[in-house]
Amino acid sequence: MNAPDRFELFLLQDGEKKIVETVVNGMSNCSDFTIKKEDHTIGNLLSERLKQAPNVMMAGYKVAHPNVPELFIRVQTDGTVTPREALVNALKQLVAAYGQLGREFQKELALRQYADQGENGDGSGAQGGTY
Amino acid sequence: MDYDPMVMDDAESLGPVVKISQADNVRVKFELSNADLSFANSLRRVMLAEIPTIAIDLVEIEENSSVLADEFIAHRLGLIPLNAEGAESLLYSRDCDCDNYCEHCSVKLVLHAKCTGGENMSISARDLVPAGDRMHQTLGMPVIRDEDGLGPLILKLRPGQEIKLECIAKKGIAKEHAKWAPSAAIGFEYDPHNKLHHIDYWYEQDPKTEWPPSEYVDWEEPPAEGEPFDYDAVPNRFYYNVETSGPLGPDGIVTEGIKVIQQKLAGLIHELTEGEGGDNYDGPRSPEYGGGGDGFGYSTSYGGNGGNQSAWGGAGGTTPFGQTPYGGGGNTWS
Repeated sequence: MNAPDRFELFLLQDGEKKIVETVVNGMSNCSDFTIKKEDHTIGNLLSERLKQAPNVMMAGYKVAHPNVPELFIRVQTDGTVTPREALVNALKQLVAAYGQLGREFQKELALRQYADQGENGDGSGAQGGTY
Repeated sequence: MDYDPMVMDDAESLGPVVKISQADNVRVKFELSNADLSFANSLRRVMLAEIPTIAIDLVEIEENSSVLADEFIAHRLGLIPLNAEGAESLLYSRDCDCDNYCEHCSVKLVLHAKCTGGENMSISARDLVPAGDRMHQTLGMPVIRDEDGLGPLILKLRPGQEIKLECIAKKGIAKEHAKWAPSAAIGFEYDPHNKLHHIDYWYEQDPKTEWPPSEYVDWEEPPAEGEPFDYDAVPNRFYYNVETSGPLGPDGIVTEGIKVIQQKLAGLIHELTEGEGGDNYDGPRSPEYGGGGDGFGYSTSYGGNGGNQSAWGGAGGTTPFGQTPYGGGGNTWS
């Protein structure tokens, strides 16, 4: 009845900005990013990747309430890069990594199909070798 | 506080590695290694909830003298898997210029049956007939995989009963409603020997004998006798079992999932690097960026037309992946 529309989980409302940076007072080189209409999928992915970056001191995320499609990420760097740059770097690395995953997958799939066809000419893809 | 950059450089130079152990037209089983848990889990989550597919969303019932209520039938119709290969050529209805729906943002299917014989009659997905203008021949057709070629049963009619209705199938994602999920199930596991103690098995005497071993126990070294717990260990190998319900091939689900997550990330890069000037997001917008020069400065080399075409069935699998993971013509981020 008064439940919000389900598409509000992933559609930006009028005038909403996807991502907003707020500098944290009292902590050096630290920013909070509020990303609308995202959840743990992006939050965990980004904060874990940021933690691996050499010039990031601290990174973490929260989704404050499961019904509120808003993601909060805090990043603190060592000062050699801004938190914004660190985040962009993490994003670029991830796009590249998923790109590689996609190419790897296609390559392996072609090999698998080739192997399956070799083993049983009908190409039904029945379980092949043990790998 | 010195961090050892070598650890990351190593991982970075190698990147994720995939090993496929089984692939047919229902499932693909593969191992993803040299990646971290967040990377693997994000792919799993996206494949479950955010891949655009087609499902019946509007049903106009003209005649229903069957024993089932209209809304009951409408719900059943919504859950019927429809072929979603080529769904990227279809617009989201909310982004379309039309008033309600049109051939650019929907597929129309009609069902008209009357039981004239003396026996009860079964109406199944095969009886849904495409109607109206269609942009794409197979897009939105019910997926039929059973031996009799009938597809899922929708309802049964007694002699003299009639059903006549019109269905509008639209594009959507499973975050809005599960009927848009492309996968029937996605198996995801790691650490078959539970060396990391991420699982705390319930047991009476001995969990080793009381719990069935994982399918992947032979893939990884069992812990040595008396081996101390490694506090620094992190999961590194992930076993997926992606099973399709029909809209896309199982490999199509994986490649589409990768595409969707890249688009999400690229959208964020775009927002962060364009500065405050960008007013690209001043209206509700479906979670599909790209789509060919609509103001977004990047384009992934994924997609294109036959992008998510399953390599199974259908004319040969063209790989949708180009050389660079992002934009051939992309001039952003530099």
